[in-house]
Amino acid sequence: MSNIDYQNDQDKSFSPEESLQLIQTMIRKTKDSVAVDSFYLLFWGWLVFVCCLVEYVLMVYYRYPHHSFVWGAMPIGGIITAIYSSRQARRQKSTTYIEEALSYLWIAIGISFFVMVVVNVVSEAWRTAFTYYILMYAIGTFVSGSLIRFKPLIIGGLLNFIIAAVSIKFNFAGQLLMGALAILISYIIPGHLLRIRYNTKKN
Amino acid sequence: MFKELDPILHSQLRLAVVSLLIGVKEAEFTFIREKTNATAGNLSVQVQKLKEAGYIEVTKQFKDNYPQTTCKITPKGIEAFEAYVQALQQYLQVGKE
Repeated sequence: MSNIDYQNDQDKSFSPEESLQLIQTMIRKTKDSVAVDSFYLLFWGWLVFVCCLVEYVLMVYYRYPHHSFVWGAMPIGGIITAIYSSRQARRQKSTTYIEEALSYLWIAIGISFFVMVVVNVVSEAWRTAFTYYILMYAIGTFVSGSLIRFKPLIIGGLLNFIIAAVSIKFNFAGQLLMGALAILISYIIPGHLLRIRYNTKKN
Repeated sequence: MFKELDPILHSQLRLAVVSLLIGVKEAEFTFIREKTNATAGNLSVQVQKLKEAGYIEVTKQFKDNYPQTTCKITPKGIEAFEAYVQALQQYLQVGKE
């Protein structure tokens, strides 16, 4: 933009071609500013992945009865995410419609997880719990990937729809492994690829 | 028949500001300054003109004890921008013939 001399702002004679070029340049600049943060994918991806595997090991290998305590990490994760996102919001200088859509999508998914946990606790329907959790990962990552046009996230989301369907065949221990696989495919791998893309763009 | 180009938008910096705001929900003054590379003084004059025309909405508030100005395009601004782009297309088509 440095080639544009705003000092001649009163000069009305700039051509339609120049006008169009200016519009294109500015619109491209807002496109680049869609800040997609891989923090959320990586943070929740690794947290859920580790919890699934730790619970599996405690349950299957140690026969530890209170194996579900690992999920106490979720509310802590929620608090960390809330602090992080409020800090980010303070730094952010513009909001695009895509960013707004993404934040509402993930707020809805977050609430859904909370509701599902309540439902599962009340109905004690733990055996099928992960089927629906994986379905939520699928919706979140597929829609996000489509909005930001990032293929690994779209593919991860689509594969999670399949994993969700297959997971119903497994017992709870098997579902924990399915959950770990789902989160690896839809959060962790796309999250790292997104971070790599962001870093190469920046340099 | 040429539609006349809207004089409010047919100015480089004002057009740059409106084009930026078309793509976002809202943007801070500092963001617009960074993207347009304009000086703060010139930019605030042009932002004021756009505001007076009813093309953008300007909100001033405090964020962490610092004054913060946020700009947002209005429905009238979107309409004017679309009309401006249409008029531009007319000019360009004539230019091609």
